[in-house]
Amino acid sequence: MASKRVLIIDDEETIQTVVQFGIRLAAGWDVITASSGPIGISTAQAEHPDVILLDVMMPEMDGISTFKILQSQPETEHIPVIFLTAKAQAAERRQFQDLGVSGVITKPFNSLDLPEQIAKILYWQLEV
Amino acid sequence: MKILLVEDDDALIAALTRSLTAQHYIVDAVKDGEKGWLYGSTFEYDLAILDLMLPKLDGIRLCQRFRSEGYTLPILLLTSQDSSTAKVQGLDAGADDFVVKPFDAAELIARIRALVRRGSANPLPLLTWGDLHLNPSTCEVTYGGQPLTLTTKEYDLLELLMRQTHHVFSSDEILDRLWSSEAFPAESTVRSHVRRLRQKLLAVGAPSDFISTLHGRGYYLKLPDQPDHAPLTGSSIARLPQRIAPETGRPVTTERATEQLNDQSLHSASHPTPRPAGYLNDREPSKADQQAQYLAFLNTTWLNNQPRCLEQATLLLDKAQQLQSQVATPVEPATASHSIADLSDLPNDQQEAHFAAHKLAGTLSIFGLTQAMQMARYLEERFKCPTLTIVDLQEMSALAAQLQSMIQEVHHIEAVQPQERLSQWLMINPETDWDAALTLAAHHQGVDLELVPSLDAAQTWLDRASAANSLPKLILLRLNALPTTAILTFLQTCAHRSPRLPVVLLGECDAWRDRLEILRCGGRWLPEPTLTPEQILASATRFLGDTLTDTKVMIVDDDPAWLQTLPQLLRPWGFCATTLAEPEQFWPVLQTVNPDVLILDVNLPQINGLELCQILRSDPRWRRLPILFLSILSDPATQNQAFTAGADDYLCKPVRGKDLATRILNRLQRIRDQAS
Repeated sequence: MASKRVLIIDDEETIQTVVQFGIRLAAGWDVITASSGPIGISTAQAEHPDVILLDVMMPEMDGISTFKILQSQPETEHIPVIFLTAKAQAAERRQFQDLGVSGVITKPFNSLDLPEQIAKILYWQLEV
Repeated sequence: MKILLVEDDDALIAALTRSLTAQHYIVDAVKDGEKGWLYGSTFEYDLAILDLMLPKLDGIRLCQRFRSEGYTLPILLLTSQDSSTAKVQGLDAGADDFVVKPFDAAELIARIRALVRRGSANPLPLLTWGDLHLNPSTCEVTYGGQPLTLTTKEYDLLELLMRQTHHVFSSDEILDRLWSSEAFPAESTVRSHVRRLRQKLLAVGAPSDFISTLHGRGYYLKLPDQPDHAPLTGSSIARLPQRIAPETGRPVTTERATEQLNDQSLHSASHPTPRPAGYLNDREPSKADQQAQYLAFLNTTWLNNQPRCLEQATLLLDKAQQLQSQVATPVEPATASHSIADLSDLPNDQQEAHFAAHKLAGTLSIFGLTQAMQMARYLEERFKCPTLTIVDLQEMSALAAQLQSMIQEVHHIEAVQPQERLSQWLMINPETDWDAALTLAAHHQGVDLELVPSLDAAQTWLDRASAANSLPKLILLRLNALPTTAILTFLQTCAHRSPRLPVVLLGECDAWRDRLEILRCGGRWLPEPTLTPEQILASATRFLGDTLTDTKVMIVDDDPAWLQTLPQLLRPWGFCATTLAEPEQFWPVLQTVNPDVLILDVNLPQINGLELCQILRSDPRWRRLPILFLSILSDPATQNQAFTAGADDYLCKPVRGKDLATRILNRLQRIRDQAS
């Protein structure tokens, strides 16, 4: 599979760093980071990543508001978004699905498994 | 040659990477000083280029940090200040050279070449080995005056061998030095590059063993005119020292550093696990290696983050105590006290504590510190309550204090946390009437249910899942008629593919003959008419009892043929096997893999299997780990010795997959029985 570009939007820098390292290590994908919803939106517009990993709970603009803006912009509406969240309850998952989010990955996760999980959610063919 | 570039200007990163790559350098670029440190201390580089002004940790401090930790790699600083003060400061911090922005790329590359040359065993600008000449400035290579046309990687490989001609490079080392830290090619890639390079050298008249193989060790350039002379020095001696031990001021080689770490990890768990080499994972050769590398990275990152986490826990404790002092009299907690407020309505202290707890929980989760993370999460929720009582706050203070000491005690991240996954089931449901109800029921039961409408669709899905090594835990097949030949064939295929994967048929099937046929083909049967979707899923779980997918088996054997065969033999039973050929890597691999079962050979180099078994039996953490011996030695004396050392079982080679799987399953069943 051709290399992918992943944008991670999370206010926690350690998470950005570890996810970036893990994804690069496991799959060699390019990972760009943003530490807030507004920065994430402009990064997505400029960089056109293949997928966005979006933290649900962030100060200022939360994941849901960020997602809605991404969906409303012509440059970013087609980019699949996967929510990163603490243990999502069934009701919350349904709410996310209703919003049109491509998938949900719950924390804690092992960053090395992320490429496989993302590929599974988005039906990408991973090289095995 | 591999370069670490620490620079926060994207345009400059792009331009420099382009110029350096064109000169055959491999570049890892990061954008702040902390990451520079993480990469520099995790991977091996031939040179680092640091910008002076960097976020988080500036170039001078980063340079000082490398030097104070004993890293001797050449460091080149980039700066926009052309003042002698800045230069003196930089050189005093341990930098080797200084380039002022804006700079000429050609000059920068010439300086890099000079720096690399200075650190190399071959300090001349033109590299020469017998009739072979390599000019790093022009990237031209000739043998006996004849030019060689090489690919980038072939050139890189040749330059590496020529720069350290007395060094034997293992494939692992070559991968480390010539591929960026983002690429993870297999060892066979090195072999094919060496093969092609040898062919090209042969074509211009070089001897066929110009690049020689030292069996089991690696590759080196044979001394010209001394055809049978292997390098005078071993790899650990000839290797360019990368680190100076701070305590002694003496150089230590990378191998020695790894040994030291290994020794430490044998005695204490307070150091990052070194990257173990020389073992293979059944699923993917570099998987276990990646896990170890990731773990080492997590440990380095944790050391940087622990103080901040402690500060956050202290803040939570302070806030809980402050709020406690503001509540005058104890009040019984009211139901309303647990309702969630709009955060902006909360007092500032509470908002601050809420966000600190949220951030802390996030950080702890990435390190897999689940218990501490759950405590932080709980505090995060509690700080959201608008009417906290003194009882609540007392409890929160106690919890915050506990969290604080818990964080303080984490000196080492011991294992990469397994991904918490929903159990995945596949269901073939030809009629869509139940789809919605099934999906909902699956959600409630924590099952990730994949619904497909036909056997063909199921087959395609299973092929893909099998290729990705992620078969479901259970297959449900809803019958809308009597079982057909196609269904029975499907059952047989599934049984062949994965004998322990339960396939459950739902539907009316009154005839004994049909039920028997289903059973013979490996299927199970569940009568449908009396059951709701919830009941079906709940009933189906009982068929999961005997599946052992994800059971981790670690195999230690020095015979490569067995190491290849055993994982294949065990795969149909759903075992995930990790193989290890070098017992000296045993401890870090064991800790990384954390197996459910260990299979040991008796005769191993350096440490024999019996000794390993004895060590494990004397360690409280591994005392109960099931250990099976698999050896060519069939004499009763050795078997007796194994059982005396603490073995649970002993099998003689050759062994059939089924027999080995059965013995493993028996052992695991016994443990389950004891536990229940």
